[in-house]
Amino acid sequence: MTTIETRPTTGDFKVADLSLAAFGRKEIQLAEHEMPGLMAIRREYAERQPLKGARITGSLHMTIQTAVLIETLVALGAEVRWASCNIFSTQDHAAAAIAEAGVPVFAWKGETLEEYWWCLEQTVRWPDGTGPNMILDDGGDVTLLVHKGVEFEKAGAVPAPSPTDSEEYAVILATLQRSLEEDPQRFTRIAAGIKGVTEETTTGVHRLYQFAEAGRLLFPAINVNDSVTKSKFDNLYGCRHSLIDGINRATDVMIGGKVAVVCGFGDVGKGCAESLRGQGARVLITEIDPICALQAAMQGYQVVTLDDVVETADIFITATGNKDIITADHMARMKHQAIVGNIGHFDNEIDMAGLAKLPGVQKINVKPQVDEWVFSDGHAIIVLSEGRLLNLGNATGHPSFVMSNSFSNQTIAQIELFTKNDEYEKRVYVLPKHLDEKVASLHLGALGVRLTKLTSDQAAYIGVPVEGPFKPDHYRY
Amino acid sequence: MPVLRSIRERFARERPLDGVAVAACLHVTAETANLVHALAAGGARVALAAANPLSTQDDVADALEGVAEVHGRRGDDAAAYAAGIDALADGAPDLALDDGGDLIAAAHERLAGATEETTTGLVRLRGMDLRCPVLAVNEALAERAFNDRYGTGQSTLDGIVRATNVLLAGRTIVVLGYGWTGRGVALRARGAGASVIVCEVDPLRALEARMEGFEVMPALAAAERGDIFVTVTGGRSVLRGEHFARMKDGAVLANAGHFDVEIDLDDLRAGATGGVCEVLPLVEQHDMGDGRRLHLLARGRVVNLAAAQGHPAEVMDVSFALQALAAEHLVRHGAGLGPGVHPVPDAIDHDVARLKLDALGVQIDTLTAEQRTYLASWRA
Repeated sequence: MTTIETRPTTGDFKVADLSLAAFGRKEIQLAEHEMPGLMAIRREYAERQPLKGARITGSLHMTIQTAVLIETLVALGAEVRWASCNIFSTQDHAAAAIAEAGVPVFAWKGETLEEYWWCLEQTVRWPDGTGPNMILDDGGDVTLLVHKGVEFEKAGAVPAPSPTDSEEYAVILATLQRSLEEDPQRFTRIAAGIKGVTEETTTGVHRLYQFAEAGRLLFPAINVNDSVTKSKFDNLYGCRHSLIDGINRATDVMIGGKVAVVCGFGDVGKGCAESLRGQGARVLITEIDPICALQAAMQGYQVVTLDDVVETADIFITATGNKDIITADHMARMKHQAIVGNIGHFDNEIDMAGLAKLPGVQKINVKPQVDEWVFSDGHAIIVLSEGRLLNLGNATGHPSFVMSNSFSNQTIAQIELFTKNDEYEKRVYVLPKHLDEKVASLHLGALGVRLTKLTSDQAAYIGVPVEGPFKPDHYRY
Repeated sequence: MPVLRSIRERFARERPLDGVAVAACLHVTAETANLVHALAAGGARVALAAANPLSTQDDVADALEGVAEVHGRRGDDAAAYAAGIDALADGAPDLALDDGGDLIAAAHERLAGATEETTTGLVRLRGMDLRCPVLAVNEALAERAFNDRYGTGQSTLDGIVRATNVLLAGRTIVVLGYGWTGRGVALRARGAGASVIVCEVDPLRALEARMEGFEVMPALAAAERGDIFVTVTGGRSVLRGEHFARMKDGAVLANAGHFDVEIDLDDLRAGATGGVCEVLPLVEQHDMGDGRRLHLLARGRVVNLAAAQGHPAEVMDVSFALQALAAEHLVRHGAGLGPGVHPVPDAIDHDVARLKLDALGVQIDTLTAEQRTYLASWRA
């Protein structure tokens, strides 16, 4: 077990620099104005305190926007412990402000893998020896930790990492090994107290469905990701905003005139392609799904395979949710100074380990989260955020307004699961349509949108209530 | 056409063209009729000939009876077209409003002044020994922005769609030429969901296209990729035998440049060893004898006029407002202009833009006195 480097912290939290709290607080106040949905929820539920008694473990990028979410949960009565769900995504001033406000937060930008899993472990361990009764997850790492913890405690042993396991999985196993030695029933006890999890992102949702299908899901889950006001907003408009922000901050290259390849044309890929095209890049798409590929073609994007264009394109972005999209061989074949970045949740879309193993390859750090990788023949590529989410690593992630949509869904999902727990089984649910529509409604005023109202005659004609929900569940927007 | 209407109203009051003989070689459309009415309201005697036999709308020609002398019917042959030009030239006009340069070429020695509407015409006029002043209406900024980019951009695609009913989304459209018109075609094709390839000879324009995110490549390479080809260069034989030989089965060939020489029709027919047949009105299928069929639209003539209805009226409103004001300028100040091609005065450009903004209900800012001083002193 690697020892955790000691950082200057006091009390029940761990952040990079508490003196950043005042700056963080100012940015939180700015963000509050841009997050009308969360602020409306705070006002609506201020009296009722629906999350009183909730002990929420949160694992979600510790940014300014997340700080507004955390303070919303607290304002609704919850006790919260928080960590980031990515080693690079913490905004240290946001974490400092949250720590200063008295919320136990364990997050700093640039954690090691060991530190990352240590932080997650801290969020599930309450000082009184209990654990959370709710999880708010992004990518499913806390859910995974609890499920694996229970599994290994039941088996009485943590397996040794196999050579095919990722470096990160080995760290998870080591973390659980240490836990098992300290307390052989820790995760079993914690899991028994958990009423449910609300999951933020595609990748985590995928894990949840896998757990549920195998009958191994230990508590009910709400798939926040597939709320329309989440995936169609955060994934699409958020990435459309923050992808080019990340590329610009990292490299300052002129995007106009470049050839950019976006791997994956799901919601995230669609947003990425639009923003790159909007800056004047020629955008090429790779896809495995014929529907998404056809969508790309019908929007005028050329659909290619990565092998076709790997030697000629200037910018490569992965947005697939899958692994081994850009291999070490691909990267070696790219042209000099090609830019490679990932906006998918995990860092396995680009084979960074394979890149590092290439004979003679050299990594030269340009600035934080920007590395030049020089190949043995002297040509080099630029890799952003070490293959992790570049919009968070190189920029500040999604803008507040978009996150207000996502986090309003999270908050409403937490209230649903916590207050109506007996209505939910150990399955994965999406939020009902009327709550999705409610989240959207909470954001219209800030944009000056004037909604047209159905007459009762019109409503009857299409068979919906005047106040909604307006669409059937299968409607795709 | 509110801009032209307001000019027509002023012309009726001021009669700036009183007694002036105006010969106009323009596409005979409803929009042109409005220009003729404005000129007539200003006191001009107007004679009109069709600039293109496929673009003539016969009902418009009929409706102009009594307002102007009209030559040309839809579908006329080349001889009838030439006869129309000759008739105008023989009428001893004072001013010529031209679209393509043929009329000016025939009559310039006797004219007090002329205006030219197209790039193609200006290229020709600059290459000859002109004896009268010609205002380059086509190069006025208002004209470029409206007529070429937005007008032709939209109506070219309209022509292609009407002629073929092809879905543009998902197709690869090759735009040959990235001048103002090419920019418009490329912009609107992208908007319709097409993947756009641009071919250019001018490095600056090619770079512009690339920076806009279009794929840029030589026409020979593009020939293999395109589903639809649009020539907008003002040049000739832009698409020729070597290109036809590489094209995919089913490729559509359209020209939005002024003359029918941008697609080399001789080469195309020579290559069509399997024969040529009209599969739809204005769509000629060329069987290349090797299983490939190429579809030529409107016999290679300007597709937006031949297969659709030309520019939307509001685009022509701006063009013809420029023509009308340019004609007025030539009458009032033409004597001071030497022979040769001259730019349309800035003031006319601004007048037209201002009238158009009024029509759109758009208000704009005016420089403060302080700002004017600042800008003037900075320049000095």
